[in-house]
Amino acid sequence: MEAAALPIHDHHGPPPANQSARVQPQVLGMLLFIISEVMVFGAFFTAYFFIRVVTGDSWPGEGDHLPKAIAGVNTAILLSSSLTMHWTVEATIKGNRAGMKAGIVTTFLLGVTFLFIQINEYVHVGFAPSDSAQASVFYGLTGLHGAHVFVGLLLLLFVLIRVFRGHFSPQAHRGLEVPGIYWHFVDVMWVIVYVTVYLL
Amino acid sequence: MVVAGVIASAIGIVLALAIEWFPTVAATQTKKISTLYDVLLIASVPIFVLVVTVVVAAVIRFRMRPGQEDQDGPPIHGNTRLEVIWTVLPALLILGLCTYSYIVLEDIEKAPAAAQELRIGVHGEQFAWTFTYPEEVTGGEELTTTELVLPVDRSVRFSITTADVIHDFWVPDFAMKLDAVPGLTTHYRVTPTRLGTYPVVCAELCGLGHSVMRSRVRVVEQAEFERWLAEQSTPAVEEGAGPDEQVAAGKQIFASEGCGGCHTLADAGSGGQIGPNLDDVLKGVDEAKIREDIVDPDAQIAAGYGAGIMPSTYGQTLSDSELDALVAYLKEATK
Amino acid sequence: MSFRAPGFPRAGLGILVGVGLAYAIVCSVRALYGWDPVVDGDAVLQVALIAAPLGFLIGLGAFDYWFRWAIGAPTLPEDHSGHGARSWKDYFRVNTDHKVIGVQYMVTSFVFLGIGGMFAMLVRAELAQPGMQFVDPNAFNGLFSVHASVLIFLFIIPVFAGIANYVLPLMIGAPDMAFPRLNALSFWLLPVAGVMMLLSFLAPGGAFATGWTAYAPLSTEAPIGQVFFTIGVQFAGASSIATALNFLVTIVTMRAPGMSFFRMPLLVWANFATSLLVVIATPFVAASQFFVLLDRALGFNFFNAAKGGDVLMYQHVFWFYSHPAVYIMMLPGFGIISEIIAVKARKPIFGYRMMAFSLLAIVVLGFTVWAHHMFVSGMQEWIRVPMMITTAVIAVPTGIKIFSWLATLWRGVLHLDTPMLFALGFLTMFTLGGISGVTLAMVPFDIHVSDTYYIVAHIHYVLFGGSLFTIFAGVYYWFPKITGRMYDERLGRWHFWTTFVAFNCTFAPMHLIGIEGMPRRVADYAETFAGWNLFISIASFVVGLSTLIFVYNMVTSWRAGVRAPANPWRAMTLEWQVSSPPPIFNFDTIPTVVGGPYEYGVPGAVHGVFKDAEVKTTATPAGAAPAGD
Ligand code: HEA
Ligand code: HEA
Ligand code: HEC
Ligand code: CUA
Ligand SMILES: [Cu+2]
Repeated sequence: MEAAALPIHDHHGPPPANQSARVQPQVLGMLLFIISEVMVFGAFFTAYFFIRVVTGDSWPGEGDHLPKAIAGVNTAILLSSSLTMHWTVEATIKGNRAGMKAGIVTTFLLGVTFLFIQINEYVHVGFAPSDSAQASVFYGLTGLHGAHVFVGLLLLLFVLIRVFRGHFSPQAHRGLEVPGIYWHFVDVMWVIVYVTVYLL
Repeated sequence: MVVAGVIASAIGIVLALAIEWFPTVAATQTKKISTLYDVLLIASVPIFVLVVTVVVAAVIRFRMRPGQEDQDGPPIHGNTRLEVIWTVLPALLILGLCTYSYIVLEDIEKAPAAAQELRIGVHGEQFAWTFTYPEEVTGGEELTTTELVLPVDRSVRFSITTADVIHDFWVPDFAMKLDAVPGLTTHYRVTPTRLGTYPVVCAELCGLGHSVMRSRVRVVEQAEFERWLAEQSTPAVEEGAGPDEQVAAGKQIFASEGCGGCHTLADAGSGGQIGPNLDDVLKGVDEAKIREDIVDPDAQIAAGYGAGIMPSTYGQTLSDSELDALVAYLKEATK
Repeated sequence: MSFRAPGFPRAGLGILVGVGLAYAIVCSVRALYGWDPVVDGDAVLQVALIAAPLGFLIGLGAFDYWFRWAIGAPTLPEDHSGHGARSWKDYFRVNTDHKVIGVQYMVTSFVFLGIGGMFAMLVRAELAQPGMQFVDPNAFNGLFSVHASVLIFLFIIPVFAGIANYVLPLMIGAPDMAFPRLNALSFWLLPVAGVMMLLSFLAPGGAFATGWTAYAPLSTEAPIGQVFFTIGVQFAGASSIATALNFLVTIVTMRAPGMSFFRMPLLVWANFATSLLVVIATPFVAASQFFVLLDRALGFNFFNAAKGGDVLMYQHVFWFYSHPAVYIMMLPGFGIISEIIAVKARKPIFGYRMMAFSLLAIVVLGFTVWAHHMFVSGMQEWIRVPMMITTAVIAVPTGIKIFSWLATLWRGVLHLDTPMLFALGFLTMFTLGGISGVTLAMVPFDIHVSDTYYIVAHIHYVLFGGSLFTIFAGVYYWFPKITGRMYDERLGRWHFWTTFVAFNCTFAPMHLIGIEGMPRRVADYAETFAGWNLFISIASFVVGLSTLIFVYNMVTSWRAGVRAPANPWRAMTLEWQVSSPPPIFNFDTIPTVVGGPYEYGVPGAVHGVFKDAEVKTTATPAGAAPAGD
């Protein structure tokens, strides 16, 4: 293979790209990524639909009980973390560094609490995924969501580190906003999972 | 060009219809489906010919000649009327074909007017088919066999099940097929119209024996069907038959059960390679062991082979005397 | 050799660490559950198949930038050392230049074509005669399964992404893709997925042998080799989603001034449509394989009918991806053909807007037809007729495209060189394959031919006569741009004619033996089909040999071909307005688009001009992330 001919004007970078849409690339990228995440959940809900509705077996599996109340509390926890995430962004825009730090720490801790309660629920729920297809779907959907919470928490952790390292300003805070969008998505997805798996 | 196109289409259709596409037309379903295919050919050959003709004509008439290296074609950007035509015409053609297919579909699946349909169970298992004739058909006990026998001109409704993975019950000459799905019983019906013996094929990949998961269906006159049913309830091998008769009967069983699909056995002229070569492995093995190998193949797995490949149903589908005969034959053939 | 700097030594270390981690995880989980913490080979293998590739990618340096970003360390200021390739070694590094990545993609996927094609040769060798000759049935099933999986997931899909990677930013006047580092990661996921699928031949019990469709419950019960598919597909799928996302963002946000959507070349449109399909559909195949993995590794019961699982659910989820996937494997080819036919016929594309809209129509319709693969699956019967209609209706937008290309040819000045020959070959062969698709949509006929060689014929007419012909056309067409050299025209024609004839001899008779009753995916077949199968096998070897002409042409022309001018085809689209190969940053100034891309024959028409226009730039230029990013 031959190297592409390289002109020798080394010290100049690429010409700045034309921006042909108002949306920022990073935000658009995150939105598209969320679309494909929604489809992953869509596939798991398809499994749920087939195993619960099409085969017409009882839900949850016979003799199993789902802890609706605890999961409800957990829902509230996750939803409030969405609010604190929103505050974090607001505080950043206003230049309120203390508020930004408090906001991101609270959001992170709320997320950790959610995950902790979820794991605790697995330990006490009294059935295993190998017991029945219904149990598999239960663990599949909640576990998929749990994995997303975990990824969201990782992103929040990065943001948290950078917040305490003095990054972000009212003018430049995209690195905080974009993970925030993801976190909101994780929360909304939980509400859907909660309603379909626990309540309906 | 138009003339050339029409002539080419006509030739194309004639050629396409002249080919014997389908195997024998052995059921009403085959007849209807092959007619549908003829219609599809008549509709699609002209489309293909149209595209090819335009390409060839364009190549002949508009290819670049010397001196045209720097010329461009006329800047035509579109033509609404043409575009409407080539949207609407294919759409109409498609709707027509779908309607006709729908009619054929209804037709090949509808129950016969008189409700005296045969009901037969089809059971797939890696890698063999078994067929169940319920009591209302046999008039006596339920009958399970590895050979499918059907009376001619009578609608049959198959109920298809499986013991393990997905299989697919297909008789090419009947032109119908359907998967056997774990957890479900699926159904289809055919009306055989032609006497003869046809292959039964598993059409869904089901593991390493998929290609040998074949069997046969025999379409016979109603009277012979009844005679066959009656025969099945009497043992194929008389109790206390002499050794020679046993060996002869065993050889037949070996062939009709499809053992040869998986095993090589010189005496039976079979060359299957899914399972061990019986000529080699059975030398000097005693009868009891051979019998166990057949009835409960997973009890002792031959070295280098996986469990669960050889069907474990022979203990049920073969009667004791048949097993005796089979074992006697194997002992004799591999001496 | 340094284990600290990114590169292959560190990547090797990464693999070892990954495997070690897999051992550690499995043993400690077993200990945690109070089981005997002995080594459980299958479990370790499954974890290692995930951990080792990640170790490899980390070691190679695909994540270095993001790690620094994540901990808020100052990211390395971009010195553009990741741009351009100075020697062949640069093609073996994590490089962020879309042109280098494009070449990496194309060369890698052609290697996989060679490998997948060789598997086909082995399949045909075995099928030349009834009975078993060369391989045992298990190996045979492995061969066609890997053949199809490699050619679909590691050839057709990525090679289109590679071609578009190279030309798409140039075509829309962008200096690079929107996310160059993600682009590099997308590429490096591919060799990982490919090597994994090939390594499955070494697994105990043999390669995955359940076809490229991997239907449950066969796949949940198959030997461990199956997991190489299950996990390999995840890597390939992640790669295609990341690339698609990158294309979409690039097309939406980085077009040159003046390039409205309806001034975009149709290749850009085609990749826009394809990327939408990928982003929406690919997660479904990922999920279907998650289910299989969960059933296999953790004892879930998604497909265990005895415990309430639903076997048909697998097929619904799989085909909800894999039908759109066949358009993922075709629409970019439509884009390539539009470019070539307009340039080589010296005429504007006939009905440009309908060409763009029909792409979108195919995208939308493509999501409504998946169950046409399940007409004989035993699913609910009422689904069949609606799906038959939607499936057949796709012929209408596809027909619009075919007829518009024909109209573009008409009255043009046809340059019948190799790219054009392949384009015309595509027009006719894809029509044949598409029409056989329409016959398959007709439920009663499909009931008879489903799972037979008729399907195999359809597959290859659309994928070989369709997709692969467009790929050959595109590679010849952009060869001068990419390498700066001309390919050998005479060899190109030889390649086309031998391939075209042998291809038809191979796959046309399959229609017939399929209807006559030969099922697909069989290692052995009834004596009646012996004659045709021998004929097919011989013809298929000729197809294989004809591909060697192509390889020879590419290699020798790249090394010693005639130097190519900037615009050998007198094309109007932007990639031809820069030198061959293009300068390191594509453009010194971003061009301004003033007209349509295909105004051939319009006196004085131009598509783009290079003037110092006011370019609306992003607040921060590409490069080091500022503290707020
Ligand atoms: C590039 C890949 C590709 C493409 C583009 C297509 C395109 C089409 N396919 Fe195909 N298909 C596959 C790849 C592809 N397919 C593969 C790989 C399988 C097998 C999977 C497996 O089981 O392993 C398969 C299987 C498959 C089946 C399932 C068969 C079975 O397993 O039983 C069906 C059934 O409906 C089908 C239909 C169609 C149709 C209607 C189109 C249409 O989109 C075609 C439209 C195009 C045209 C019709 C030609 C041009 C149009 C005109 C000139 C206009 C006028 C035409 C008419 C009015 C008819 N395909
Ligand atoms: C893009 C897709 C693609 C391509 C290009 C091909 C190409 C070929 N295919 Fe394949 N095929 C599929 C996709 C494809 N196939 C799919 C999806 C299936 C279904 C599988 C399933 O059932 O699950 C299938 C199944 C399939 C079967 C049916 C198997 C069965 O059901 O039992 C057969 C049998 O003949 C076959 C044959 C061939 C042949 C002879 C070629 C030939 O055209 C190949 C020719 C090419 C070469 C031989 C390459 C030669 C190149 C070199 C020698 C150069 C080396 C170069 C480098 C190393 C850089 N294919
Ligand atoms: C689908 C394939 C298949 C069919 C059909 C099949 N077998 Fe087998 N057979 C195998 C395989 C695989 C083995 C080796 C594994 C085992 O021992 O279970 C085997 C093992 C055996 C053995 C033991 C060989 C040894 O080494 O001990 C005997 C005997 C045998 N088969 C006889 C028969 C007979 C008789 C029939 C028909 C009635 C038959 N088989 C049908 C696949 C098959
Ligand atoms: Cu049973 Cu294939
Ligand atoms: Cu499809």
